[in-house]
Amino acid sequence: MNLQKVVSGFFFILAMTINFGFFYGDIDNPELHSVYELFVALVVSLISTVLKIGDKTQLGAVLLATSLVADIQLISAVIVWTVTEYLSIVDVEAFAAIISLSGGALLANITSVILYIGETLKSKR
Amino acid sequence: MGNNALWIILQKLRTPLLVIIVTYSIAMLGMVLIPGMDDNGNVYHLTFFDAFYFVSYMASTIGFGEAPYTFTYQQRLWVSICIYITVVGWFYGIGALVSAVTDKTLKFEMMRNRFRKQVQAIKNDFVIVLGYTYVNAEIIKKFHDANIEVVLIDENENKINHFLLEESSHDVPVMIGNALLTETLQDAGILCSNCKAIVSLFNKEEENLRISILTKFLNPKVKVIAKSTFSDITNSILDTDIAKALNPFEIFAKRVDIALASPHVLVLENWIYQNSDLMDKAMFLPKGKYIVCGYGRFGKLLQEKFDKHNLDSVFIDEKRLANREMMESGKFIRANPDDKNVLLDVGIKDAVALIVGTQNDIDNLSIMITAKKLNPNIYLIARENTMQEVSIFQVANIDWVFMIEKILINKTSLALSKPLKNRFLKLILNKDEVWAEKLVKLLRNKIGANPKLMTLKINEEESYAIYNELLAGNEISIDVLLHSLSNWQKNNNIIPLLIHRKNEEILLPRNRILQIDDRILFACTQESKEEIEIIASNIYDLYYALSGKEKESPILKKLFG
Repeated sequence: MNLQKVVSGFFFILAMTINFGFFYGDIDNPELHSVYELFVALVVSLISTVLKIGDKTQLGAVLLATSLVADIQLISAVIVWTVTEYLSIVDVEAFAAIISLSGGALLANITSVILYIGETLKSKR
Repeated sequence: MGNNALWIILQKLRTPLLVIIVTYSIAMLGMVLIPGMDDNGNVYHLTFFDAFYFVSYMASTIGFGEAPYTFTYQQRLWVSICIYITVVGWFYGIGALVSAVTDKTLKFEMMRNRFRKQVQAIKNDFVIVLGYTYVNAEIIKKFHDANIEVVLIDENENKINHFLLEESSHDVPVMIGNALLTETLQDAGILCSNCKAIVSLFNKEEENLRISILTKFLNPKVKVIAKSTFSDITNSILDTDIAKALNPFEIFAKRVDIALASPHVLVLENWIYQNSDLMDKAMFLPKGKYIVCGYGRFGKLLQEKFDKHNLDSVFIDEKRLANREMMESGKFIRANPDDKNVLLDVGIKDAVALIVGTQNDIDNLSIMITAKKLNPNIYLIARENTMQEVSIFQVANIDWVFMIEKILINKTSLALSKPLKNRFLKLILNKDEVWAEKLVKLLRNKIGANPKLMTLKINEEESYAIYNELLAGNEISIDVLLHSLSNWQKNNNIIPLLIHRKNEEILLPRNRILQIDDRILFACTQESKEEIEIIASNIYDLYYALSGKEKESPILKKLFG
């Protein structure tokens, strides 16, 4: 068992699960989506991006790309939330944008995890 | 992933990035969770944006103060912990970034990228030169004079820096690297179609062999010029079929051979190399007994030549041994040549010439001074190993100095930058004294002491007019190019030396019909050189040189009937 594999696998899957936790719930109901969850989802996603740097294989490059997509989606969601809240224009449309952005990030995270599992299954060791 | 440099930075920054992300998020989360108090005493929580804003300026030690309201003691307790973890994380990250940028491998990668781009940007033909030495510096200058680009590789960073300081007029891609690696050679553009040759004049001759073999497998179209003085290495280098092995000792021994048989050939050779002009006195070597100091690679080659010309010769060497036959017949003496008594023993008084060819320049000079005292009329030939002592050898009153380095410089640059001159030289080296003397006299009388050499190609770019006439099926003789443009019945002072075509080489051509793709070598004066160029490329001047009449312009003819 390789500790490095455990740590990176843990973060890749955690990024997906937390992202799902934030995304799950009615798209227009702010009470069902915790801001803390979005914060943790972004932090874990950033960590998993950094963990993916340095693998120069073809698969490593694709993994890094999916992670970067998730980061950009989550950061956009955070920016939309911050801007709308401080300009006091929180409405259903803005909130739906935040949730759908995190939904996009969720898709990227799912792709990343599928690729990761595929690589693990292919590995002989 | 082409950009190695970026990957090296990212990989080095993995841990610092993780540290910064984790410390920031811990600090931010704490700031959000701990309750604060606003000016009116109400409990409030910082938003994530407030926390991010505060932590950002705290970690980078900018420190704008407590925002949005003055902190409570609970908050300050947490902040004082955060200061230590985030500031340390931040500085660690910056330190790692700085060390990654100044990293040696990174620097090397960046230099390599730049070098590769420079090499790929070369449009002209270019030559790869391995190692920066005095010899190669001279060779590079000659290439630049002939409009050939140069790519330089050296293992030593100081030498490269030295080169960059010296070289200012041309943009030469340089790289610090081991030339014996395939990767380095590929970076230097050995696979490019406009890479014409590679110059490998290392003193460690195995390296030259290695370069020859590598080049053969990488790109057999590239010529290799390699230095080699040991016969087994020479043979291996020649076996690669693409390499030209240069043995300075053999080259010089051949000169001695030629000087004994036909000295005017040497006058011609020195003129072609521009070492001297045609007025130079021919090197008539005296006939008689020769004494040679040094019996290594050089001495053995000389011995063959003396035997060929039936000359009496004695060899002196302190370190090496000859075969028994030579020792018994007194042709070889094992002693230190820099000794008056040894020189007297071998008969310096009745010898006609002394050749000093040891590897030590100071020894060579000292032997010659001794010899000159013992026999003032003796003809002195000296080997000079490095160019550093040039001036001393010049004032030492030596009849014939041969420099290993100069031979290498001349041979290499001529073979690559002036192929036609090189062909001519090869052809005349086999000619006899009568032929050479006649040519020297002819050149001197007709053109002068130092005729210019020019080459002309019969193709569209260099000789438009002749090319078109030949395409139209008209016959043009080489003599047309000799005509004077002020009076076509007179000839300019030009001597055509060589026509080189696919399967034929004509020395001193007269009345020859030209063909497309011929290359012609002329000896001429500066003014007549210009006239050759004009006749070859301008249809009106060609018409005049052919017929003595002015050609009418087809456009003017139409206009004025």
